[in-house]
Amino acid sequence: MKLTRRNFLAWAGLGAVGAVACEGFGIREGELDIQSPVSLPEDLVRGTDNWYASLCRTCPSCEGIVIRVMEGRAKMVQGNPFYPTNRGKIHARCQGGLQALYHPDRITTPMRRSGPRGSGEFTSINWEPNGIDTLRNALRANGSSSVMITEPLRGHMALLADRFATAIGGERLGFEAIDNNTYRAAVKNVFNQDSLPDFDLEHSKFILSFGADFLSTWVSPTRFGRGYGEFRQGHGRDRGMFYQIDSRFSMTAANADKWLPVRPGWEGHLALSLAQVIVSENLQDDRVDIDALVGGDTGRQTLNTFRPEIVAPLAGLTPAMTGGDPVAFLKSLARSFAASQPSIAIGGGSAGAQSNGLFNLEAIYALNYLVGTAGKKGGVRFNPPSPWADVPSSSTAGSLEDWTRITEQIRRGQTKLLMLHGADPVHGLPDSLQLRDAIAQADDLLVVSFSPFLDDTSALADLILPDRVSMEDWGDDISEPGPGYQVVGLQQPVVNPLSELDPLSFPDVLLTMAQELGKEADLPWANFKLMLREGSDALFNLNRGSIEATTADEFWNGLLRRGGWWDEFRNGPTTVRPAEGLLKTIADNASEPSFAGIRVGSDDSLYLVPFAHNTLLDGYNGHLPWLQAAPDPLSTVTWQTWVELSDATADHLGVKEGDILRIQSSKDSIRAIAYPSPAVPPDTISIPFGQGRKHGSDYATDRNGSESSNVMDILETTTVKGTGSLAWAGTRVRVTKTGESVSISKLEGNVRAEEIGILPTEDIIKTIAPENT
Amino acid sequence: MMPSRKMVPLMVAGGVVTVIMGFIVAVLLISWFSNPPFGLGNAPSQPIAFPHTVHVAENNIQCEFCHRNVTKGEAATVPAVETCLFCHKDIDGGTVAAQEEINKVRTAFDTDTPIDWARVHRLPDHVRFIHEAHIRYFTDETIGVKYGINGEELSESPDVAQTCTICHGDVANKEVVQPKTGQSLKMGTCVDCHRVNSIPTDCTVCHK
Repeated sequence: MKLTRRNFLAWAGLGAVGAVACEGFGIREGELDIQSPVSLPEDLVRGTDNWYASLCRTCPSCEGIVIRVMEGRAKMVQGNPFYPTNRGKIHARCQGGLQALYHPDRITTPMRRSGPRGSGEFTSINWEPNGIDTLRNALRANGSSSVMITEPLRGHMALLADRFATAIGGERLGFEAIDNNTYRAAVKNVFNQDSLPDFDLEHSKFILSFGADFLSTWVSPTRFGRGYGEFRQGHGRDRGMFYQIDSRFSMTAANADKWLPVRPGWEGHLALSLAQVIVSENLQDDRVDIDALVGGDTGRQTLNTFRPEIVAPLAGLTPAMTGGDPVAFLKSLARSFAASQPSIAIGGGSAGAQSNGLFNLEAIYALNYLVGTAGKKGGVRFNPPSPWADVPSSSTAGSLEDWTRITEQIRRGQTKLLMLHGADPVHGLPDSLQLRDAIAQADDLLVVSFSPFLDDTSALADLILPDRVSMEDWGDDISEPGPGYQVVGLQQPVVNPLSELDPLSFPDVLLTMAQELGKEADLPWANFKLMLREGSDALFNLNRGSIEATTADEFWNGLLRRGGWWDEFRNGPTTVRPAEGLLKTIADNASEPSFAGIRVGSDDSLYLVPFAHNTLLDGYNGHLPWLQAAPDPLSTVTWQTWVELSDATADHLGVKEGDILRIQSSKDSIRAIAYPSPAVPPDTISIPFGQGRKHGSDYATDRNGSESSNVMDILETTTVKGTGSLAWAGTRVRVTKTGESVSISKLEGNVRAEEIGILPTEDIIKTIAPENT
Repeated sequence: MMPSRKMVPLMVAGGVVTVIMGFIVAVLLISWFSNPPFGLGNAPSQPIAFPHTVHVAENNIQCEFCHRNVTKGEAATVPAVETCLFCHKDIDGGTVAAQEEINKVRTAFDTDTPIDWARVHRLPDHVRFIHEAHIRYFTDETIGVKYGINGEELSESPDVAQTCTICHGDVANKEVVQPKTGQSLKMGTCVDCHRVNSIPTDCTVCHK
């Protein structure tokens, strides 16, 4: 071919097109590479976090929380700043709730007992068949002789559980190891209120608290802690005065301006003694009809039998405690309490856990009438009823009398189906009740546990149908105590269960059972979310409260976004009238505390004042390692069971810190580690509830009996007169050395508390290093 | 019969054009039938023999643990070497071969050398595919009936891992990752899936 100009251009053009085509269809170097960087900086900044409003379920009080969810995992819990009761603050317990979600000891699938009952041997089964159908058959056959034990419930879950139990002809009981029944009864008797009151600490000038560890564990400590902060440091106000009268030096006592260690069980007498001073010196609030309150001259005469001169020695007050004459101290206290308006009197904890606990609390709360702050600013603030007519706003819990009856029913074979959810009564009731033996030996009994974790009662179950944990499930609650107005909290699932877990929502299981048993008329909802949604629609139709919405869907979204609904204008009563002659009635019912078992006055017997563990409470949170590792606010002990005893008692027994002591009651004995402290009354010892689980997570059980024991095992089954509840502070014990010793696991180091003072009457306590001792 | 001299240039030109056109047709055919486009139909060789079978099928590591961005953004992303070391700082592997591969990862970390993997799935640059949106849709339990990539009805809302398999196949059980067998990931597939799920098919939904 001749190379002409035309041919040259044609070939050149063709070549260029081919080159472009080949290059264009080719793949550039590195185009298909995808690189793994060496380090992981994206963990710090990558991704979008979502915050979901929900409710904390690691303590009985209901706190609004927001949960940070990132990469499909819940990672952090903080307080919901909008939620009225806690307003952005939370307890350490709420943080621990995360660990329930990722706990390695969660029950992954339904299980059936494979060994003898109580052996803790289980085989995994499917929900269907073998799981749900076993429950269905049991409900069909024995629903009318069933007992359902749950945690104390409020809101729609309470409605659901109660309706379910009623529909099948059974019984439901709430369980709390340290119940509030006596406190509730006192509130009812004194104020005629059905729900627990709030305390307006932020506006109070004088707090007089008897036995209630309200900054740590009692009722709603986060809410009270917030109010207490305002009480001490609120803008534009003076620092308030706070007296704690308590037989244990609790965290609340440590925050008080004055702690008065009273002899256990005499708090009511002390309260009436203060009342006597106020009445006799005419110090009561001007608006009080004192004759009606006291019960006329007869009442005054009765009250006079509680004069400080009589009560001070009975209550064990000494000049060393009161910094002078105890009688003068009580009179001065009464005058300050009456003069510092508004003032408030609070009672609970060990003050109500005596045989005369109801009298104690009634006498304490009646003081609020004298100073005119019942229902008023700075005083006791009452809560309105539930916004829904049929949904309970107050929880109920069985008393020791109830549990004794249930135990007997099981023993006699009258209870054939026992269902458990959120309750571990075998651990949380005195061992002498022998509930464990009754269940273990009942042949004709099916025990079904809905617990996501094994515990002492679930270990006795025949069938375990694991529930979702709170961050995976729907729920609601009515805060108790509320802030003085209607508050509803909503709990929403923020994550799905991990892939290896196969739990089913407990309320959904109940609703499914109701459908399958033909109880749709009582429980018409297909699932719990629909039930809650119906509740949301009912709130929307009220056309009031914190959520502005034009449609029910919009309202529901608002409910989820804010974590609840509240109406600040729907308050509890501000005026409550005391019953005629209330103080006289209370005084007439006064009784001394009684202690079964080891005799009072014997040389070596001591008062045992147990207390709720700061994070484990009654043991409900024992499986959560963060909460095990959270140090006690005063002793800083973690993981172990310690016994607080006075330096004098320790010296008398020749005991030093870390020695293992045997604590003996008339029922049984336990072992606990000695923690001598100058801040313990000489005739008293204190041991926290919460440890000593025998079954379940290693975090709760993997310690020997010297380091982890259950104080419930040695409590006498004394009951509170008038409520039948367990008088858990009504036991006397004997303490002996075992000769063994361990290292106590506390953060305090070698520094310990010592009592010092320039003058003999001064009782300043500070921590000093050992080289200075 | 010999062609005339005048026909020779025409025949040469015709031959050249045929070769070029054949080349173009061949490239287009390969591009069309390989999956995804441009020569990625098979499992490419990788610098480290990473077995999804061991990590996902046997040890239940969730997709999002390594592909951390998959539920949050556009790209699924491959894990940093440091992520591998979370476990392989201690875990050595059960076989000699596995140990050798794990040692490559450790060496990469120790020598501060990124690992260049060969991409298995790739969409053209003018396509904006956002993993997060697709996973959010398929895992949303409030949406009624949903359909998979081939129009199959999904009986219930899949979880994240199940959603991944819709396009990527059963990666958990593949020793070597390769595209889902017989699965087209072309525009028609995207549009069909959007249509059957009642998702918008406007150009700008997917194209930049």
